[in-house]
Amino acid sequence: MAETSFQELKKERKKVGISNTLMLFIVLVIMIAFFGITSQIKFDQQFFFSILNLIPMLSNISYIGIIACILTMLLITGEIDFSIGGNIGLTSCLAALLLSKGINGGLVVLICLAAGILMGVFNGFIVTRLGVNSIIATIGTMSIWRGIGYTLSNGESMLAFNPVIDYLGRGTIFRYIPFPIVLFIIVIIITYIIMNRSKIGRRIYAIGVNPMASYLSGTNVKGIKFLLFIFCGAAASLGGLILTSLSAVGMPQHGQGLELTVVSAVILGGTALSGGKGQILGTLAGVLILSVLYNGLTMLNIMYFYIQIIRGIVLILVVATYEIRQSRALRRV
Amino acid sequence: MNNLEAKNSKGKNVFKRVFGIFTQTKTPTPSLIILYIIMAVIFAVSNDNFLTIVNFKGIFNNFAVYGIMAAGITIVMIAGGFDLSIGSIAGLAGIVSAVLLMKEGAVPTPVVVILALVMGGLLGLINGLIITKVGINPIITTLGTLATIRGICYFWAKLNPRIYNDFIENLGRKFLGNVIPYTTIYIVVIFVILSLILKFTRFGRDIYTIGGNENLARLAGIKVDRIKIITYIISGLFAAFAGLVLISQLGSGRPEYGDGAELEVLTIVVLGGVAVGGGKGNFLGVFIALLIIGSISNGMVMMDVPVYLRMVVKGALLVFAISLDAIRNRRRLQLY
Repeated sequence: MAETSFQELKKERKKVGISNTLMLFIVLVIMIAFFGITSQIKFDQQFFFSILNLIPMLSNISYIGIIACILTMLLITGEIDFSIGGNIGLTSCLAALLLSKGINGGLVVLICLAAGILMGVFNGFIVTRLGVNSIIATIGTMSIWRGIGYTLSNGESMLAFNPVIDYLGRGTIFRYIPFPIVLFIIVIIITYIIMNRSKIGRRIYAIGVNPMASYLSGTNVKGIKFLLFIFCGAAASLGGLILTSLSAVGMPQHGQGLELTVVSAVILGGTALSGGKGQILGTLAGVLILSVLYNGLTMLNIMYFYIQIIRGIVLILVVATYEIRQSRALRRV
Repeated sequence: MNNLEAKNSKGKNVFKRVFGIFTQTKTPTPSLIILYIIMAVIFAVSNDNFLTIVNFKGIFNNFAVYGIMAAGITIVMIAGGFDLSIGSIAGLAGIVSAVLLMKEGAVPTPVVVILALVMGGLLGLINGLIITKVGINPIITTLGTLATIRGICYFWAKLNPRIYNDFIENLGRKFLGNVIPYTTIYIVVIFVILSLILKFTRFGRDIYTIGGNENLARLAGIKVDRIKIITYIISGLFAAFAGLVLISQLGSGRPEYGDGAELEVLTIVVLGGVAVGGGKGNFLGVFIALLIIGSISNGMVMMDVPVYLRMVVKGALLVFAISLDAIRNRRRLQLY
């Protein structure tokens, strides 16, 4: 009896069909094809698939993507980090300030990453040791970081020129592949392996589903969450350095509102805010979809506020699709 | 019980006993009042002009918009929800009514006001329907509507409507007897009515029940979805009203009005002791938090704190307040 129902379940699952991640990638391919074709028709020339368009788009995706991948892991445990935008602002100002003091570029990168780790430690301490809700805690620290960034730079933007920093965002490997994209791909591979092939990944999922049960089965719940907050701080700092390098300027406004973009991308990728669900590849698809949408619509000369509306609607539509699919799947069982 | 606590605290040092005033009360309101008194003393000592009627007129008038928004979001949060779209709703209500009032006498003022409020209520209804009927997480839903509604505001970006309408101008600027701002009266009336509703009506108790345990509330026969939708409608209504006050105080309509208000309001509400998960919170706490945030902005200007440092202080205050709250409500055994 039990076995037959299990087999029925398997059949039913086949009927449900493709996974959410696959669905996202299909949407992405359709979108890319759409923008490619419309650009061809509208301008009689291929703008979308030109190197001039793709390289900057991918460079911009890279720093968002790096942060999004790490944030996915954090979101799966059921916590969130809104302070990434403020972190980017601080890091960017810190880097420019240190460079203007004539400090070696490599050292600046290390100091900035260390600052990111410190910020992560602060967030992690408040959330895991004091037991503060992570949404509110990180909204608070977000304005602290950004305020410190403004104080460091005195509200001005500072030029940031240095061979090491320049290479971080604008350097290329094999003449054509931009360095930040390589970083992004490395981060994807590492986080994918962690989440899908390692013990710690299974524990992260388990924490998100049921923290009490995972504590009772011997998982160091607080420790893992703490570690992920530190990762998140470091990733945001790395993103801030890449952004500083891309714009060659360190300013406190860098990353303003980025937290919402990153969180939207992660959620678009199928990660649940309540934790326990999510895929690194889904996040990759989410980041790509949001960026391609923005890039393509801008190329088609659609005004910024229409793009904002479309982004909001896409987010709600996709998440609604997840919910409906899930409730249908549950009803079948 | 009291004896036991007294015995336990005997061995503790003075610092812990003083700190205990903040951490061992059930609601944060007493500690907020103490915090406010300390702050007021510091500001008053450092600047003679802090404790003057003129200054307090300014403080009260400045936090009016946030205060009205806070009323709505408090109700939503007590019921376990979340509403980030209030800033955008205020912006939309503001710019739409400003545009309608642009041509003098084309649309009667009451119609504009009612239209703005109905629009706010409708947007709240949309939020509520998506959250309860489709079942999307409230943070995501309102994040989406935040972007969408703000985008709609920019349809009127090219117009720059000024307000010449007497009624709207007086709405947020006049003083009763030259001392009490109209806006303070709105806030006090709204807060008193809402706290009476929360305390003495079945609807109010249901809101607390839903925030405390939604499943339990459902099993107890409370119409959870309907009540949640109503809370979002209330939030939208107040946001729209705040938008009207905003255009009244600023004297024009711009699409970016109310941008980022959600975070400010969230800070106030959380500082006031409304639990993020729902089920806890009262309006007295929110009102004192409003006073604290308003006075801090004001006092820091008087103390000549650099503008960028103010941001740090505000963030630090939020983190401090929420940490105290967390320590206070910490379970005896926090394992994970």
